[in-house]
Amino acid sequence: MAKWYIDDGSQSDVVLSTRIRLARNLKGFPFPNKMNADDAKRVIDTVEAALEEMNYTFTKIDLPAMTEEQRRKLVEERYISPAFASSKLPCAAYISEDENVSIMVNEEDHIRIQCIYAGFEDKKAYDLIEKVDGYLAERLDYAVHEKYGYLTSCLTNVGTGMRLSYMVRLPAIAMSGASESVFATIGKLGVTVRGMYGEGSKSTGHIFQLSNQTTLGRRESEIVSELGEIINNVISKERELREALFEKNGTALEDRIMRSWAILSNARILQSQEMIQRISDVSLGISLGIIKNIDSKDINAIMITASPAHIIANYETNEAVERDVIRARIVREAFQRR
Amino acid sequence: MLCSNCGNKNASFHYKSVSNGKYTELHLCRECASKLGYIKDNDNIFNLTSVFGDFLSVPKSAPAQVAKCPNCATDFDTVRRTGFLGCDKCYEAFAPVVEAMLSKIQPGTVHKGKLSGTDGKKIERDNTLKNLKEDLKRAVIEEKYEEAAILRDKIKEFEAKEDEKNG
Repeated sequence: MAKWYIDDGSQSDVVLSTRIRLARNLKGFPFPNKMNADDAKRVIDTVEAALEEMNYTFTKIDLPAMTEEQRRKLVEERYISPAFASSKLPCAAYISEDENVSIMVNEEDHIRIQCIYAGFEDKKAYDLIEKVDGYLAERLDYAVHEKYGYLTSCLTNVGTGMRLSYMVRLPAIAMSGASESVFATIGKLGVTVRGMYGEGSKSTGHIFQLSNQTTLGRRESEIVSELGEIINNVISKERELREALFEKNGTALEDRIMRSWAILSNARILQSQEMIQRISDVSLGISLGIIKNIDSKDINAIMITASPAHIIANYETNEAVERDVIRARIVREAFQRR
Repeated sequence: MLCSNCGNKNASFHYKSVSNGKYTELHLCRECASKLGYIKDNDNIFNLTSVFGDFLSVPKSAPAQVAKCPNCATDFDTVRRTGFLGCDKCYEAFAPVVEAMLSKIQPGTVHKGKLSGTDGKKIERDNTLKNLKEDLKRAVIEEKYEEAAILRDKIKEFEAKEDEKNG
């Protein structure tokens, strides 16, 4: 299976991924927060039957049968949300063969369709999610309202039910101390800024998630184009500041980047936090042309394959030090292969 | 990060709020978040009022409300406090408060996007027709007769197509 994060997307020096999700509910069932286990199972069966007819292969992920680490691994790969990983209600996830689409059943809403691509790929993501949603709509009885559109359990999602979210790396904006003013500005324009794993999570390695705050009153295409324009401005600002930062403290910045490069290429014990921070430096080095033998897309893939639950699940170890040793090896080998 | 209330467990709930111009951050573990009323009954319903400060709060004196949704028994207070509804019928049961809250948190209270599915397509068609008729009315009032003629033809064409589909 091809993982979305080893793909090469556009503008990958700043944008790690583009993700769109649609929230949908079925008529005749209470929303998940009011649902009993029987209803939840019936919703799963209904959605699964619709998916089976689809000309697009999905693999069912049996969450209750999984270990906590296996579930966290799916969170790290961004196929499911952190809240979903610890859901107590019968729930299921389906991942498409190309791994660009995942569907969560009985998360906050009955159905959460999500489409993810590496880099800045709003059009690709929207076209694909439209196709999947259109297909399901023909087979399922969605709860819709003549005034409010698609009904959702929380009022923050009603209408289009759409959340478009870009994961971006903004080291220069952060290092120049411009993040507060940039985030305040885009906040006024209706953009929500979050940490790496969404709601409530902290930012590490200058990685942020930028998404549309509102879902009702504007067409999907307007949401996509307006947010896209704002993200493009943020990208330009970030690139501009990268150049400015390099011009102002060239040697110091180059030193920081090369030190991080040296650590990633040689460390024998590497903690997740440090890896993410060092990778941010190296990524900056790539975009400034200081580091030439590795790509932004490789960097982004290493970050996911060396994240904690991946190592636990793939190497069957739950011992912190051992994990850090394995992580150091994965990163080292990836860097030295170049 | 450790919970700022008990200082023992890892904080997994992070709240930011601005109230009276003062910015506060709160980091709590699940137990403390539940104990202090930030999450309800150990489920995942966030108390939006506390997340957004007074931003979302709807006065208790909001227009006359039913106490409970006749379909799923979600109560008015939960909706007002959390912004969460229990089922699609809640949207009708709590219509005034839903409208009041939406007008605070969304840029508009009318869906302008697509609608799919059997019900969705019908609503989409009804809305198209309704919009055309409203445009026609406005054009006539504004004495834009050329525009009105075009709209009238469009409406006729639209209705003919619908009849064809239904017949």
